[in-house]
Amino acid sequence: MVAKRVNVLWAILGVVGGMAIGAWYMGSRIQSPAEVAARTAAPEPSAILVPVESRILSSDVVTRGTVRFGLPQPISIAPSTVKGGAGLISSLPRPNTNFGEGEVILSASGRPVFVLIGAVPAFRDMAPGTSGGDVRQLEEALARLGFDPGTVDGNYDQKTSAAVERMYKRAGWDPYVPTREQRAAVAALEREWSDAARAQLAAEATRETAVKAVAAARAIAEQNTRQASLDSAARVGDSRQLADARAGKSLALEAERARAAHSATAASADVATQMADRALIVLDPRQTETARAAAEAKLKVARAAQRKAKMEADLAIQTAAREAALAEERIRVAEGAVKAARLEGERSVRAALEQQELAEFDVKVASERAQRLNAEFTAARAKLGVQVPADEVVFIPSLPVRVHEVTAAVAANASGPVMSVTDNQLSIDSQLPLEAAPLVKPGMKVAIDEQALGIKATGVVETVATTPGTRGVDGYHFYLGVKVETTPVLLAGFSVRLTIPIETSKGAVTAVPTSAVSLAADGTSRVLVERGGKQEYVTVQPGLSTGGYVEVNTPDGQLAPGQLVVVGYKTAEPAAVK
Amino acid sequence: MGVFAVLLAPAIAAAQAQAPKGLGTEEFGMSPRELVQAIEKTEELIARCMREQGFQYIAADHNTVRAGMAADKRLPGLSEEEFVNRYGFGVTTFYTGLPPQLATGYSPARVGLGERNVQIFRKLAPADQVAYNRALLGDDVSSSLAVALEIEDLSRTGGCTRQALTETFKPDQLKATHYNPQDALINKDPRMKAALGYWQREMKKAGFEYGHPDEIEPDLRNRLSALTEGGKLLVSKMSPDQKAALRKLQDYERLVSVKSFKMQEEVLAPVEERIQEELFSRKVQ
Repeated sequence: MVAKRVNVLWAILGVVGGMAIGAWYMGSRIQSPAEVAARTAAPEPSAILVPVESRILSSDVVTRGTVRFGLPQPISIAPSTVKGGAGLISSLPRPNTNFGEGEVILSASGRPVFVLIGAVPAFRDMAPGTSGGDVRQLEEALARLGFDPGTVDGNYDQKTSAAVERMYKRAGWDPYVPTREQRAAVAALEREWSDAARAQLAAEATRETAVKAVAAARAIAEQNTRQASLDSAARVGDSRQLADARAGKSLALEAERARAAHSATAASADVATQMADRALIVLDPRQTETARAAAEAKLKVARAAQRKAKMEADLAIQTAAREAALAEERIRVAEGAVKAARLEGERSVRAALEQQELAEFDVKVASERAQRLNAEFTAARAKLGVQVPADEVVFIPSLPVRVHEVTAAVAANASGPVMSVTDNQLSIDSQLPLEAAPLVKPGMKVAIDEQALGIKATGVVETVATTPGTRGVDGYHFYLGVKVETTPVLLAGFSVRLTIPIETSKGAVTAVPTSAVSLAADGTSRVLVERGGKQEYVTVQPGLSTGGYVEVNTPDGQLAPGQLVVVGYKTAEPAAVK
Repeated sequence: MGVFAVLLAPAIAAAQAQAPKGLGTEEFGMSPRELVQAIEKTEELIARCMREQGFQYIAADHNTVRAGMAADKRLPGLSEEEFVNRYGFGVTTFYTGLPPQLATGYSPARVGLGERNVQIFRKLAPADQVAYNRALLGDDVSSSLAVALEIEDLSRTGGCTRQALTETFKPDQLKATHYNPQDALINKDPRMKAALGYWQREMKKAGFEYGHPDEIEPDLRNRLSALTEGGKLLVSKMSPDQKAALRKLQDYERLVSVKSFKMQEEVLAPVEERIQEELFSRKVQ
């Protein structure tokens, strides 16, 4: 019975307990609208406070760039005409080797190649007597190196030669003295000049002879003319005689006629005599037949003699008449002879004058040649000093330089490009966005750093391109060149961050986060300041704003560093993320 | 006590059958909205950090990052199964040593960075490219935001990505030991435990000692990292021995991937889907 009551009691207790638990469970589940509203209401916002700071505000342009040495420039060795051919490279520098002025950058066939400062590359051999800009560069370099080349005037003189010799010797090399070919060439020039001088003397002698020949020709011509004139005068006399003959007064003709009459008379008388003798003999019977024949013969001879005398007389008369007729002709011949003698004389004189002119021309040519050869010889002799072959010097606009890349090899020809060098100045190639480029000017300071490597350096803006898309940057950026000023480590090849302050506050100013400043209904700027658990607005005058901070000024100093200002209110975070 | 057990049983059952409040279905247990917000915020912070480093970086929108995440084990024209059969998980089989921006083939990291950032990177000088990726990604240039989110391992990230993730995600989410709470919840289910036990046994029979499918890819990444000096060694500059070792690792990846994928599809996926349906009252994508 008792047990039954106990069980009933337990049952009642169980039911009551179950109802209690059910009521508790239901009570925990059932919520009043007020409870729901209270539970889902936004939490009380808690202000996020940050202190007012005193700091230097700086508006920066941040970009990136790669550090490099100056732009590589090729080093070429010019061919030397003095040497006649390129030497073989016997020593080369290693990359990154630095060279200063007056140092030997490489050697070829036992000869050095000096590096000197100069804008104009070495393009010819420099020797005593040469002049020009390259020689001036050489003299300036020698002066800088302390070798005293004399007046720096662009003329390679003996002082320059001596200075070059000292430069070679100080570097431990023999200077380049005249070659055997150069000396032989000078000797040949000397011989030629000597021959030319002799030829000049000979020409001058010829000219003197020609002058005399002209005088002689003139004298001969005058004499011949005079002789011809005399002959002509004689012919004129003959002519006068002829005229007399025509007038019947020719004595010769009359004489010949008289002699002819006399010979005829004598011959007739001789014939008459012989005829008388023959008659006497014929008529004398005592005469022999022989005597008769002889008398006949003598008669015949006498008659023949008579005919001969007649014929000779006629002939003499005819000859005299003909002579008289020829006299006029002879006068004309004599006059022609005078003219011919005059022309002959003139031609002789003219020929002599031409010879004289030729001789004078020869003298002129010979003199000029002698002078030219003398000048060449003098110049060549003057060049016989220490010289600088074109392949033994390299001019570079600025030194020192650093070997960037060696393109030639030992035992290769020392001609043309052999290496490239850069200057020792570290530069940075960078770029600026279009909107930042106008803010950056040459000369601005640049903070250089690379956080990952812990590198910090300083630089200065060297170049800002005036147009976008130049020097390897795309069309949406401007090229920016920065010169590295100080660096604790060699930055070449590194990518570094460049920070260029373009606007900065003058010293430390009172600043608050930008989000702390709000705009009031009247248009003034204000910040909400926490003071002793209470918040109140303070009107501020905003200044430079950069890096999330803004400079704030209050006329009555209501805002001081260290005070707390509200920048926002904390709200609930999503479950999975902050 | 019996009464309590009876009375509390429905509540306990409901608690077991439903996911905890706030647990999302996306990576790191986030809801889709939270994931989008996290991506957008992280990308903005990355862009700001990169700008401070002097680099130009365009914050990728969430679609781009999601595209990068979706590109994991995907190639145009290939199903995931075909991809796995051909390239494994794509961890070692696509390794070139090049930064993702210079990759020309499969690269989820490149997709997730966005085409504009890839073009910006390609225009940089070589030294700047190295500095850019060091600033953006740190030492492991393969761990972009998209890849890290997809594999749910933020511990390999570095540079601005790491810095931004630090401000976006909780500290424990940044650790390599962090495990997706949804996955942890599923793994606690007895049915999944049984399925995983079967998976382990079958994998072991095939010669692979793994406790969970999620252990395979990290293991492959670690092996690849050891072989390639942290992913910096170019294939073109590898020695013959290194190339042979890489080929061997790629073969291993293909084998383990195919086996694991097959087992996952046949054994684990149905169980997981069932549990997810119970947890989230719907099928999780």
